[in-house]
Amino acid sequence: MAEAQAPITAVKVEALVVMKIIKHGSQTFPTVSTGSLVGMDVDGTLEVTNSFPFPVVETTTESHFDNAAPNPAASAPRAKGNAAYQAEMIRMIREVNVDANNVGWYTSANMGNFVNMNVIENQFYYQKELNERTVALVHDVSRSAQGSLSLRAFRLSAKFVEAFKENKFTSEECLPPPPNNTIGILSNIRYQDIFEELPVEIHNSHLITTFLHQLQGPSTSGPIELPLSLSALEASPFSKSSILTPNFDNLTLNIDPFLEKNCDLLLDSIEAHNTETNNYQYYQRVLGREQQKINNWKQKRAQENATRSALKQPLLPEDEWQRLFKLPAEPSRLESMLNTRQVEQFSRQVDSFVSSTTGKMFAVKGNLLPGETAN
Amino acid sequence: MAEDSFLHLARPLGPVSMGTAPTTAPLNVVIQPQAIFSILDHSLRRNADQERVIGTLLGTRSEDGGEVEVRCAFAVGHSEAEDQVEVDMEYHKQMLALHLKANPREVLVGWYATASELNTFSALIQNFYSGQGDGTWPHPAVHLTVSTEAGKDLETRAYISAPVGVTAERAADSAAFIPVPYELRYGEADKSGLEAIANAKDAEDRSTNIATDIEALERAIEEVLSMIDRVSRYVESVIDEEAPASTAMGQFLLNALALAPKVDPVEIEKDFHNHIQDVLVVSYLANTIRTQMELSNRLATAQLTLGGGDAAGAGEGNQRNQRGGKGGRQRQDRGSAAEETRA
Repeated sequence: MAEAQAPITAVKVEALVVMKIIKHGSQTFPTVSTGSLVGMDVDGTLEVTNSFPFPVVETTTESHFDNAAPNPAASAPRAKGNAAYQAEMIRMIREVNVDANNVGWYTSANMGNFVNMNVIENQFYYQKELNERTVALVHDVSRSAQGSLSLRAFRLSAKFVEAFKENKFTSEECLPPPPNNTIGILSNIRYQDIFEELPVEIHNSHLITTFLHQLQGPSTSGPIELPLSLSALEASPFSKSSILTPNFDNLTLNIDPFLEKNCDLLLDSIEAHNTETNNYQYYQRVLGREQQKINNWKQKRAQENATRSALKQPLLPEDEWQRLFKLPAEPSRLESMLNTRQVEQFSRQVDSFVSSTTGKMFAVKGNLLPGETAN
Repeated sequence: MAEDSFLHLARPLGPVSMGTAPTTAPLNVVIQPQAIFSILDHSLRRNADQERVIGTLLGTRSEDGGEVEVRCAFAVGHSEAEDQVEVDMEYHKQMLALHLKANPREVLVGWYATASELNTFSALIQNFYSGQGDGTWPHPAVHLTVSTEAGKDLETRAYISAPVGVTAERAADSAAFIPVPYELRYGEADKSGLEAIANAKDAEDRSTNIATDIEALERAIEEVLSMIDRVSRYVESVIDEEAPASTAMGQFLLNALALAPKVDPVEIEKDFHNHIQDVLVVSYLANTIRTQMELSNRLATAQLTLGGGDAAGAGEGNQRNQRGGKGGRQRQDRGSAAEETRA
C-alpha cells in the first residue's frame, strides 16, 4: 500500500497533541516518557490529531542487541503489553469520533540525546510491524525550557531499515562503494542516512484560535484612566501578566548550564566512541593473528605438498584451513554510527545555541558600553 | 473569559441526603490548558445532531480538598432525547481504567459539557459523577461547562452541586449547581508550547512552523523594541504636553530605568571576553569532535577498501593509535574548557 502513496513529506501536529506531549514529558522529566500518536495521512502530510501516553510497565526488552539499556519507559512503544494497550485505546477513542489510525509515537529527550538504540528499535518496530507510514516525534524538554519549543519529527530511512532488518552493519556496509565494485556492495550507510527529519507544523482548530484570542487579557480599546499611584499601577489588570504574554525566556543570558550539560554529553559520547574503537581494534588484532596463522598453515601445507609431489605421494587438500581456523565475528558498526550521529546532533545544537548567544552577548555589551560597539 | 466575583457560602445540607451528600465546602478549580484543548477538540468532533457532548475530567485534588486541578479530559459518548439521556457508562469505566494505567496519580474529579445550559440531565449526570462507588464521593464532583456555540465567545464556568429535593426519588434527578471560581494555570514547561501555538492565532491557515532559536530570539527582540517605542512615544507626547502626565507612570518608568546596573567598563570587557571565549571554544571543540569521530570511523574501516591483508592491518593499527592519542589530547582540552565554563 505504501508504494501507491506519495512519500510522507511533512508532519502537522494539532495544538492539543503539542500540549499533551509537553505535559507528559515534563511530568516524567528527566526520565524518558513515551506515548502513541493517532491521526490521519493526507496526501503525504501526516496529521497528528491526538495522542495518549503509554503506561510504564516493567517488561523485559526483547531486543536483539543484548546491551540495550533496561529502561522500561523508553522501550514501552514496542513492549507486548503496550501493543494491546494501544489497540484497546484506539478502539475506545474511535467511538468518540477521534481519528483512529496509529501514525507513530512520541518520546521526550533531554538536550537532544535521543539518538540511541531504543529510539531506533521503536521506530523500526513501528515502521515494520504496524504501519510503514509512521513517524517519531521527539520533544526536547530541556531545550523547550530555554524559551523556544523543540519538537522534531523523524523517520528511519528506507536504506537503514533494509540494513537493520538484516542486521548488516559490517565495515563493508559502512563504506562507499569502491570504484571497481567487485565485492558487490549493496549499500553504503553513513551516519547521516539513519534518520530522515520531517518538517513539523503546528495547527490550531477554529475553536482553539477563538480561545487564544479570548485569552488576550483586557482589551485596550477606549481611553484608559491613568493610575493615581505606583501601587495602583501595579495592581491594575494591565501589569498582571496575562496568559499569553510574549515569552522572553530566550532573552536571558544563561550560558554556563547549557554549555556544561553539552560538554558532559559530548564527553559521554567520546567515551562510547573509545569503547567502540577499542572493540574494533581488538577485532582487527585477532583477525590479523588468525590470518597470520592461516597463512603460516597454508605455507606449511604448500611446502608439504611440494615435498609430497617430489616424492610422488598423493597431495593433501589445500583448503582444510577453513575447518581448522575460525575467523572472529566482526562487531557491528551500528553503535559507532549512532554515536557519530548523536555527536552531530550535539554539535548542531551547540552551533545554534552559540549563534543566538553571541548575538545576545554583543547586544548586552553594546548596551553597557555605549560607544565601543564600533569595533 | 468571564471574570466573575465569587462569594461562596457553605449552606447546611438538607436532611434527606444526610450521610451520602458530598460536601459543598468552598473549592477552587484550576484548569490546565491540556484539559481545555481536549474539550474543544471533542466539541469539534461531535456528531452533527448533537447539541452538546460530555466527558470525564481527571486531575488531582489538594490534600484538604480545597483545590482541584483539572489536568486532562476524555470524551464519553452520550445521547440526549426529549425525555431521556443515555451516557455510555461502560465506556467511561473502561476509559478511566485505561487512563489510570498510564497516569496512576490522576483521579476522577468531575465532568464537562460543551454547552452552558444546566438542565435536568445535567443534574442526573452530576449525581452520577458525584455519587458513591464510581463517583468522586466524598469529594464534590466538578462540573465544567465550556460553551462552544459558533459565532459567540467561549464561556467557561465551573460548578459543584448540592443535593436538593424532598424525597429520595426527586433528589436523584435534581441538584443545585453552585458556581465556583476557576483559573487557568499553566506550568513553566507549557509556556514555550503555548507560545508556539499562539503564533498561529492570527494566521489565515491556523498553522505555524516551529521557530529555530535564532528566529525566536529575533521575535523576542522585535517585541521588546516595539514596547520601548511605545513607551518613548508616550513619554514624548507627555513632554510635548499632548498626553496627560502621571506621576505614578513616571515613577514606574524611573524605577525600571534604575534597574540598569552600573558597572565598570573594564570588568564588562573582561567578563565579555571570558564568556564569549567559552562559548566559541565549546562550539569549536564540538565540531572538531564530530569531524574527528567520523574520520576515525572512516579510518577504522579503511583497511577493507585498500585491498585488505595483514600488512595493511599493521599500518592501520599505527594510524589508529595516532588518532587515539590525538583524541586523548583533545579530550583534555575539552575537559579544561568544561572547567572553564563551570568556573
